[in-house]
Amino acid sequence: MNSTASGAGTSLIGRVVDTARFDVERGKIREFAHATGAADLVHTDPREAQARGHPDVLATATHVVVSGHYRDQRAVVAALGLDLRRIVVGSTAWEYARPLRAGDTLSGTRRVAGDEIRVGRRGGTMRLVTLETEYVDSDGAVAVRQFEVLIERGTA
Amino acid sequence: MPARHITQGLDRTTRPVQAEVDARPRPRTVGPITQTDIVRFAGAGGDFNPLHHDLGFAASAGFQRPIAMGQLTAGLLAGWLTDWCGVENLLRFEVRFTAPLTIGDVVELSGVVTSVEELKDGFGVATVELTAARGKDLLVTGRASVVVETG
Repeated sequence: MNSTASGAGTSLIGRVVDTARFDVERGKIREFAHATGAADLVHTDPREAQARGHPDVLATATHVVVSGHYRDQRAVVAALGLDLRRIVVGSTAWEYARPLRAGDTLSGTRRVAGDEIRVGRRGGTMRLVTLETEYVDSDGAVAVRQFEVLIERGTA
Repeated sequence: MPARHITQGLDRTTRPVQAEVDARPRPRTVGPITQTDIVRFAGAGGDFNPLHHDLGFAASAGFQRPIAMGQLTAGLLAGWLTDWCGVENLLRFEVRFTAPLTIGDVVELSGVVTSVEELKDGFGVATVELTAARGKDLLVTGRASVVVETG
């Protein structure tokens, strides 16, 4: 797969697609840990967390995925001019400034960080949209930064 | 670029795991994946795309049965990794989705330390290459940067 040109939607870069504001809660941390097999007691037992120097239980590594409860994914896909039926998530990355913990209040603003058209090996095109989300805590500091690449397959 | 809490937190109560190049945390096997596992993750994460729980919808999209969210596979891989290294020692976690996890699949989570960059005082940043695989099929490949003890 070769990168050929930036997409027609270059003007989208920098656009804010949505903002999710939510509390990091003990119960949700527990649900997410159980759903993903994360067994470390630091996620579920406040005494374990405190013994390790944290004020409350720590969220799992991909906890900000729960922001799905606070977003309208279909509206975002439509606003980006993408076809939901042809989209897959190609990759996701998280960069941590600190671990998230119960009691945090986060505000996650998603922006378009990249938008390009690529030509696949068989000649079909695909559009790759990179979304960057900064999850900022109540002190205004970035706790976690997420990058996700949406791939829209061509119609051909 | 070590994160702020890492450079300032080297005296934490829980010390990072010891690791060197070629270290392999013990793999974890999960499954067979059930519809209940997928529904549990939908509730936890908030992804209610019917592709993941509605047999008829999944069939109309060309799948014999509902498929799991990529983020379920990513979460399983992250949970296994941080059970080993401690989530507070994770600097970066990246996943690439290769194939969907499906009901009935047994998935093996594994990884190998491919490099360790010395920081100071016996600590370093390890790069861990990760895979979630169903037999020989890769479902997710990933890479993590983890603070470890090198001494």
